[in-house]
Amino acid sequence: MAAALLLVLLGLWELVVRSSGLSALVLPAPSAVATALWSGLASGYFWPHMAATLQALVLGLAAGAVVGLLTGMALAESVLLERVLKPYVIVSQVVPKLALAPLFVLWFGFGLLPTVLITALICFFPLMENTLTGLRQVDAQRLQLFRMLGATRLQTLLRLKLPTGLPAILAGLRVAVVLALVGVVVAEFMGASRGLGAVVIAAQGMMDTTLMFAALVLIAGIGLLLYQGCLLLERRLLRAHAFFPDHA
Amino acid sequence: MGMAFLEIEQVQFTYPGRAPVVNGVDWRMPAGEFHCLLGRSGCGKTTLLKLAAGLLRPQAGRILLRGGELAAPGPQLGFMFQAPTLLEWHSVLGNVLLPVSLQRRPRPQDEQRALQLLAQLGLAEHAKHYPRQLSGGQQSRVALARALLLEPPLLLLDEPFAALDAITRAELQDDLLRTCRALGTTVLFVTHDINEAVYLGDRIALMHGGRIVDDIPIALPAPRSQAMRHGPAFNEYCARVRASMDRAGA
Repeated sequence: MAAALLLVLLGLWELVVRSSGLSALVLPAPSAVATALWSGLASGYFWPHMAATLQALVLGLAAGAVVGLLTGMALAESVLLERVLKPYVIVSQVVPKLALAPLFVLWFGFGLLPTVLITALICFFPLMENTLTGLRQVDAQRLQLFRMLGATRLQTLLRLKLPTGLPAILAGLRVAVVLALVGVVVAEFMGASRGLGAVVIAAQGMMDTTLMFAALVLIAGIGLLLYQGCLLLERRLLRAHAFFPDHA
Repeated sequence: MGMAFLEIEQVQFTYPGRAPVVNGVDWRMPAGEFHCLLGRSGCGKTTLLKLAAGLLRPQAGRILLRGGELAAPGPQLGFMFQAPTLLEWHSVLGNVLLPVSLQRRPRPQDEQRALQLLAQLGLAEHAKHYPRQLSGGQQSRVALARALLLEPPLLLLDEPFAALDAITRAELQDDLLRTCRALGTTVLFVTHDINEAVYLGDRIALMHGGRIVDDIPIALPAPRSQAMRHGPAFNEYCARVRASMDRAGA
């Protein structure tokens, strides 16, 4: 159904562009976008840019997610730490991180580093917040059970709290992935010579709207794949969480 | 009189800013006996059980296990909560092995012991399943197997069958009695159900307002059988306990 709707919409779009004689500069026809996309892929023009975007995305996501996870765990374990650090964390999140991109370019120059940093900053918060909430969801009886069995604090964290919080943590990761893609592309608008964000800006400079659309299609495709990847990861890791009595 | 296995002496416990929940309780449990702690909700019976487990520390009095002061909770005690409290991300076998796997890597003989317990409780073919695939009664059995894995000399149970239907509850009561008799486990069982207390207990401690107000030995023959529930002796005990509860409440 969803795929059929897409076909209908693309068909309408093609029809409108052809019948109205709209300039390709304003709105290129889907067929033209597809051609540009194909030739870009076939000639190898897009590949290095996709690689650059993916590299920044993966590095930023990994760094932000790991730091967010560890910070969330630390704050969940220590009330003192939470009371001292939480206000700063929240203030840091109220500052729009994309607005920091020019500053980061000033500090770290053009290239990979500022893009990765911005992406990491964006990914940090959903992971930290969801880890903090997830680890706190453990019920009192389970904590007492672990006390009864003589579990250490580290065991309680790794073998009880973390698995209990896993669904929330993975939901945070899913949010982070989508935000990260936006972060990478916008950061590339400003400070990169490579990457799909840079392609969009270059296409704008050359007034090549068709190329711009082709790059947008690629960005959307990467986003969809990453999101599906997250869902797959959740399904694998949460297999046992997902069983319900009526499946028995 | 010999040394008691578990001895509770003048124990008192108060949550901050409230009236004492457990207010000067004395109780002795000889080894191998099955005692029921009976009372209405809010009478302090769960708190007393947590004190006996070492999950709470008494503000006055002391609790002796085999003559030594109870230091901290640990694997020498089996505990069963009101809910099965299984870990959803572990298989049934993994849940039963938890008391071992928190101490060391489980050995093949640990696994064999766990599987044997599961078989005794009629769960042999569920070892690889996950808790959410089981019924409530099956989950309670897994929790019982987990509590018994290390063959703790003392088993403490906090209304573990309260959420089950009557037939399943009766089955689990028989399972519990059979397994604990076989292992020689000393059991303290908290319940608000008179029928359950009379059926399970060698002795009933009746609790009210933070104190033990009556001590009723139950001289029904062992092993118990479901048919006894309809006999005159059983019903006489139930009536006696009921009358004693009413006197305490009045």
